[in-house]
Amino acid sequence: MAKQKRNGQSMLFSFLKDNRWKYITGILLLFIINILQLIVPRLTGTIIDGIKEGAIGEQALLKYSAIIFIISILVFILNYLSRIQITGSSNLYEFLLRNKMFSHLLDMSMDFYNKRAIGDIMALSTNDIGAIRMAMGRGIMLTANTVFLITASIYIMSTKINPRLTLIAFIPMPALVYVMMRFGRSIHKRSKKVQESFGHLTRKTQENISGIRVIKAFVQEDNEIRNFQELNEEDYEKSMALVRIRGIFFPLIGFISSLSYLVVLVYGGNLVVDGAITLGDFVAFNSYLGMIIRPVRFIGMLINFMQRGKASVDRIDELLDEKPTIYDDPSILKEGFESERFEGKIEFRDLTFRYAEGEEPVLKGIDLIIEPGETVAIVGKVGSGKTTLVNLILRLYNPENRGALFIDDIDIMDIPLEILRQNIGYVPQDNFLFSTTIRDNIAFSPIPIEDRTVKEAASISQVYSEILELPEGFHTTLGERGVNLSGGQKQRVSIARALAKDPSILILDDSLSAVDTDTEERILEGLGQFMKGRTTIIIAHRISTIKDADTIVVLDRGRIVEHGTHEELVAMGGTYSEMYERQLLEDKIAVGEYGK
Amino acid sequence: MADNGQDTKSARRQGDRKLIMRLASYAKPYWKYFLIALLFTIILSGFNLARPYLIKTAIDDNIVAADKGIIEANEARQGIKILGIIFLVLVIGEFMLGYVQTYLLQSTGKKIIMTLRNEAFSCVQRLPVAYFDKNPVGRIVTTVMNDTEALNEMYTEILVGFFENVFIMIGILVIMFKMNVRLTIISLAMLPIIAFVTILFRKKSREIFGEIRSRLGRLNAFLSENLSGMKVIQSFNMQEEKYNEFEEINTKYYSARQRQIKLFGILRPLMDVVRSLILSILLWYGGLNIISGKLEFGTLFAFINYINQFFTPIMHFTEGYNILQSAIVSGNRLFALMDYEPEPEPSDDEREELEEVRGGIEFKNVWFAYEEDKWVLKDVSFKISPGESVAFVGATGAGKTSIINLICGFYENQKGEILLDGVNIKHIEKATLRKNIGMVLQDVFLFSGDIETNIRLFDKTITTEEIIKAAKYANADCFIDQLPGGYKNPVTEKGSTLSMGQRQLLSFARALVIDPKILVMDEATSNIDTETEGLIQEALIKLMEGRTTIAIAHRLSTIQNVDKIIVIHDGKIEEMGSHDELLGKKGLYYNLYMLQYKNIEETLQKNLA
Repeated sequence: MAKQKRNGQSMLFSFLKDNRWKYITGILLLFIINILQLIVPRLTGTIIDGIKEGAIGEQALLKYSAIIFIISILVFILNYLSRIQITGSSNLYEFLLRNKMFSHLLDMSMDFYNKRAIGDIMALSTNDIGAIRMAMGRGIMLTANTVFLITASIYIMSTKINPRLTLIAFIPMPALVYVMMRFGRSIHKRSKKVQESFGHLTRKTQENISGIRVIKAFVQEDNEIRNFQELNEEDYEKSMALVRIRGIFFPLIGFISSLSYLVVLVYGGNLVVDGAITLGDFVAFNSYLGMIIRPVRFIGMLINFMQRGKASVDRIDELLDEKPTIYDDPSILKEGFESERFEGKIEFRDLTFRYAEGEEPVLKGIDLIIEPGETVAIVGKVGSGKTTLVNLILRLYNPENRGALFIDDIDIMDIPLEILRQNIGYVPQDNFLFSTTIRDNIAFSPIPIEDRTVKEAASISQVYSEILELPEGFHTTLGERGVNLSGGQKQRVSIARALAKDPSILILDDSLSAVDTDTEERILEGLGQFMKGRTTIIIAHRISTIKDADTIVVLDRGRIVEHGTHEELVAMGGTYSEMYERQLLEDKIAVGEYGK
Repeated sequence: MADNGQDTKSARRQGDRKLIMRLASYAKPYWKYFLIALLFTIILSGFNLARPYLIKTAIDDNIVAADKGIIEANEARQGIKILGIIFLVLVIGEFMLGYVQTYLLQSTGKKIIMTLRNEAFSCVQRLPVAYFDKNPVGRIVTTVMNDTEALNEMYTEILVGFFENVFIMIGILVIMFKMNVRLTIISLAMLPIIAFVTILFRKKSREIFGEIRSRLGRLNAFLSENLSGMKVIQSFNMQEEKYNEFEEINTKYYSARQRQIKLFGILRPLMDVVRSLILSILLWYGGLNIISGKLEFGTLFAFINYINQFFTPIMHFTEGYNILQSAIVSGNRLFALMDYEPEPEPSDDEREELEEVRGGIEFKNVWFAYEEDKWVLKDVSFKISPGESVAFVGATGAGKTSIINLICGFYENQKGEILLDGVNIKHIEKATLRKNIGMVLQDVFLFSGDIETNIRLFDKTITTEEIIKAAKYANADCFIDQLPGGYKNPVTEKGSTLSMGQRQLLSFARALVIDPKILVMDEATSNIDTETEGLIQEALIKLMEGRTTIAIAHRLSTIQNVDKIIVIHDGKIEEMGSHDELLGKKGLYYNLYMLQYKNIEETLQKNLA
């Protein structure tokens, strides 16, 4: 395990520090409760002795009985308070840790999400955080009780009865400590495996349900059931590995602690026979030993809680220790950027990019200047790097080095992320929508957006009248991923979302693919007005969508191969003109047939 | 879900009983294990009782006897040694029985949870698509994973614990009654309080458990959705807003938990108060009686000891009762999922087997609505002959995708009939139907694994050669070969760095590898560049040979080669016919066509000029 202070661990420590008074109060209360609970049998003993010797009258009897009852009420109240302090704190920690985890997830960049499965993260957020809560609540309470009872009994046994016998009674204890350490480690390791396999199973379930339409379309249900069963079996095996060790551990602790009894019985018995101690001492010693044995047995449970919690802390640390790769460098100045609106100049200078080290670059030596207010179209084959190019403008990924990408002549690495993205209206390919109202989906911005703007944006993207036809208009709540809209509608809502934030740079990543041509034309017409004074980047495949762009950039395998206006590129006779000819031919055939 | 007052009360109680029986039925196959565990538990409590007896024997028969000179000191030592050995044997026995008992209980508990989870997952696989439209992924995941987990304790603690505690209680009661009826009755007089308190708290604790579970589901649903949409969140600077939303949901979960802590903070210690109350009453009443000579001292002494012992099972009962409440809540959620009407399958006498699918599809006066009375398809009739290629054309939201959804059996039409080779598809098993359909859907979902698994999905009978062949056919091989890992290149759910176009090519390969009789494409080429699309079109011409092909596309140019074009408008068929026929009609298709091509025609004419 790494020795440096880890994120989750340091959070745990600072939480304990911040809430130390709650824990201290809770634990002190527990001590008081324990003391009170030790008093009750004493009191009962006194009453019984009193009755036996006839030394107690009716009055006193009533008084003592009432005291016992009052103590129990007191214990009740203290118990409640102590639980609230300790379990309440553990609950608070769960809350804070989950918040922290989510806020960390919000900071994580795309490269993280490309490798982490959502189901895994869900398991962390429920199962693992739950295990930590248990350790910090019941685990700590149990620890406090155990420590108190054992200390008190040892104290009484050694001072009031017989230190030598006490020492003897503790002969098996080193073995107990050894077993606890040894098994503690195994429980930790195996708990981690269990939590991991729970994560795998959650991931499988999450992914399966997310992709259920594909599963059904391809009749994969039975295969998936089998796969799930395999993983479930694996989870069972992992759990059983833990059960096996716990199954030995708990009785083993009972066994070792019982050896104390044995030692006391044999050795202590002989002491009495030898007259070294009195019979009364022997009896009392036995009953105190009984008091210790119970909490010692708790130790098993306690170690189980704690190790499970620790395993989960480790797992969550693995997540929290992942550093986001996209963040504002602390050295950059935010002042100059306050409320700044970009001109919209974008410049690539010999930019090369690859998603992971050692991989083939996705973009190679990109040199491109997009002037403010210009409309640039990017075309290219599938996988030629178009989306990657715009992802870089959004800084969803970092360029490989500084000095490669500039917005308004400022290195993108020096622009605060928030301001950069506030200036960009982005329509992603997959037009992801959230399960909230259409209005909130369009007004998706930290800066409040007026209803009027929302409606305007919807009109430009030609979805306004369709929204009004829905049962609750703009207040219609969408299902997860916008399931109650058609593909084309989703795409247009997603366009409206980008327009509503009034961006200085608009990026349309193949965003008109699911709308019919008629609608596309109307959208483009509306956009023509909207795009005035804004830099626009359109990725598309259809010449009709892009031919009016100021500049057309043709990408091929990560390189800009052609660059110019429609007319220039057609005249050039390269890739673009080939593409144009092909589409023209298709159209010609179509029109020609009609002309027949 | 909400309680509707009095009349539902008995129904609910009966529902509870049913639910508990149903949960218990999962334990039934393991009854032998439970019985053994119970037996061991009883033996173990016997061992526990034997220990004080051993010590008592050591004291009375050896130590005291030696003290009084009845036996020799050496004899006493010998006796103690023997007792020590017996004690050791006892402790070892305890250890072994304890191990077996824990192991049996825990392993059967885990096994039952595994079974439940498998069943739940299987049920989910059979649910209709409409269910997934309404229920967020995260919530279903929570039920399959976390609600099942929450049942574990019930099987490991309650089942055996219940019998064990009943035994102990009966045993102690018998002894108490034998000793003194009146004191016993006084002690028991307080039990109704406990019963009353527990039942009083039941409603509350049920409510809180329910809240905890459903809020956990909400948390997971939020996580699942927003982690999927992280790119959009970050692109729109919405991190803070999303954080606040999350915190709000998390706060609700926190406060439900906090309420649970407070409730249990009262409930559990309250039992101690009741015990002390009984103890003080016993002391006072018994003491008075001793003073007045009506009661033996020893009896009171024994009673006080027994009352303490009597409360241990009672505490376990109340604890168990709470576990049960939690189990009922989780069980309800789990069984609600498992009992949801699965996708309708034909009954045995309805079912018709298809010998060899030829691919003829016919819609006869089909009406369909996702939600009641909001008709998406209105009286749609058409016929597609085997091997024919058909394209559906119309504005977005006209109902094109719904037609495909119906053909694939994702939803059930309310009126009319859909026939495959003359057989009503309601009489065909969903699996049989879909095995003959290769689908290329609008949204391409990727599973984590590698490229290969995303083509073959989870069908292990498909060979790598077949995968490569399909990928080549769909022209997906060009980009796959460029990936560092080729066909073994890892892919994650989020699709990692694959572009939409690449995903679409993958999904083509996915559909082709199963060699379907019917090929369905919903906007399948929208994210593909013209050159690649051209290649796919070429491949498609080969593919369409001998297959029924159904396509939805907005670009009319991509569908001109099809045999038949069906124009849908507002859920109705407006026009049907070949490209030329429809243009000749000068109807809706003509208009759509003109809209799309007027510019091009202008350019063409310009070029001609």
